[in-house]
Amino acid sequence: MSSSRQDIEAEIYRIFREQFEIEDPGPDEDLREVHGFDSIDAIELLMEIEKLFQVEMDQETKKEALSYIRTINGICDYIEQVLPDADARVSEAVNR
Amino acid sequence: MDRRVVITAASAVTPIGNSKQKIVHSLQNGVSGVLPLRHDDLLADYLHCRVFGTVQEPIEYGFERKYRKTMGPVSYYACHVVGQLLEQSGLSREFVSSGRLGVAFGSTHGSPSVQRHIYKALYHQEKGVSGSLGAVDYLKSMVHTTAVNITKMFEITGRVICSSTACTTSSQSIGYGYEMVKYGMQDAMVCGGADEYDTTTVAVFDNLLACSTAYNDRPGQTPRPFDDDRDGLVVAEGAGAVLLEEYEAARKRGAPILGEVIGFSCNNNGGDLIFPNLDGITRTIQLGLESAGIGPEAMDFISAHATGTKMGDVIEARAIEQVFGNSPMVTGLKGYTGHTMASCGVIETIMTLYMMENGFVAPTLHLENIDSRCTGIGHVTQLKDKAIDIASVQNFAFGGVNTSLVLKVPAL
Repeated sequence: MSSSRQDIEAEIYRIFREQFEIEDPGPDEDLREVHGFDSIDAIELLMEIEKLFQVEMDQETKKEALSYIRTINGICDYIEQVLPDADARVSEAVNR
Repeated sequence: MDRRVVITAASAVTPIGNSKQKIVHSLQNGVSGVLPLRHDDLLADYLHCRVFGTVQEPIEYGFERKYRKTMGPVSYYACHVVGQLLEQSGLSREFVSSGRLGVAFGSTHGSPSVQRHIYKALYHQEKGVSGSLGAVDYLKSMVHTTAVNITKMFEITGRVICSSTACTTSSQSIGYGYEMVKYGMQDAMVCGGADEYDTTTVAVFDNLLACSTAYNDRPGQTPRPFDDDRDGLVVAEGAGAVLLEEYEAARKRGAPILGEVIGFSCNNNGGDLIFPNLDGITRTIQLGLESAGIGPEAMDFISAHATGTKMGDVIEARAIEQVFGNSPMVTGLKGYTGHTMASCGVIETIMTLYMMENGFVAPTLHLENIDSRCTGIGHVTQLKDKAIDIASVQNFAFGGVNTSLVLKVPAL
């Protein structure tokens, strides 16, 4: 795993811990089934991601994102896909 | 279908205590729950009124995040009292989720502290990512937030009634819950109301010159219902819930019966939205008696709305005198708590039930010199060891809404 992917994952885990009180879910664990992470939580998560990466996603991107928010790995995949410069942004966020 | 309706459980959070024991102790010992207004970053420093009826006993909620995420402070209070209520009731989970149990619960305007957060976001200088609304802000703040957070937490699937008529919110909750059970639409109802600590409500009454301002240095001396030296109401926070059940079902399952609801009335003054109206209030009281099928001579005790305002107390005293004369004992319970707004009807109902159960009548706190315009009725100025068989709880709200609930110690 690249170091930037690790950084993104670490930040997502931090958000889950601090915002959703979900401690260290498995990377491929079904967040809804195992942790009761529902559609409202998914929208809150997108807001947290926007804050973290200092971006604003459009409505279509967000709707599409909801289908990826099933597992931690799915979330990280999506972030890498829609934010090509996620590496730089996450290191900026970590150092902020 | 016309069924008897009884109250089988009660729970409250009030400025004078959160348990029956504490509330009864406060009522019997003249304890006031009014404290100096807390500082906030919005209005507190600009208000003339600097006192507030404040919940003082700490509450350990222990709600899981899946519930907390849609709750503002007002829903914390609401879910806390209903959690205690259902535990006290001994109702089975199957019944609670059967669709035969409904909820009638409201607040003055949802959660003002969450609404404040929303307005801050809306007027944030840099709109966009950092100034955006949360996904659940509406669910936390909306006017029916208490009722639906209750249904979610306790998996209640019956009817939902969400009255939001300021000071008659929870008396309407009980009244409409009573009608639901009486006419067979539901077999039981969780009824009540809640309001959180909120300076915007103080500002509303402050602007209308209706708040107490002369006792800022002596908070425990105000409000003073019916007293010559009263100078206005004191806004307060609180919550309360009662469980209404169909009598036969309650008896069959061996539920303790705290009281019977035998009548309810609600009308509107049909005119001014602020000033109390003698004809409207008198008519409400008469309709309450008609609904209960009793004459005025049967009434033992009246829990008066009595907020401590100059005109409101006079009009209410005149209405009571017109209907009852000076026979029933009359107490203004807001002298202890301040005006708990959406929860005042249910809190005053619960206090009345506690007095019925314990055989005493609390006096109107701070009623030292009765205003000459408020005389002619049976003011209680000293603690009395006296049984109450039939009582009424009167509440009146902005918008000209009036209610009267009639309660009875049930003949088993």
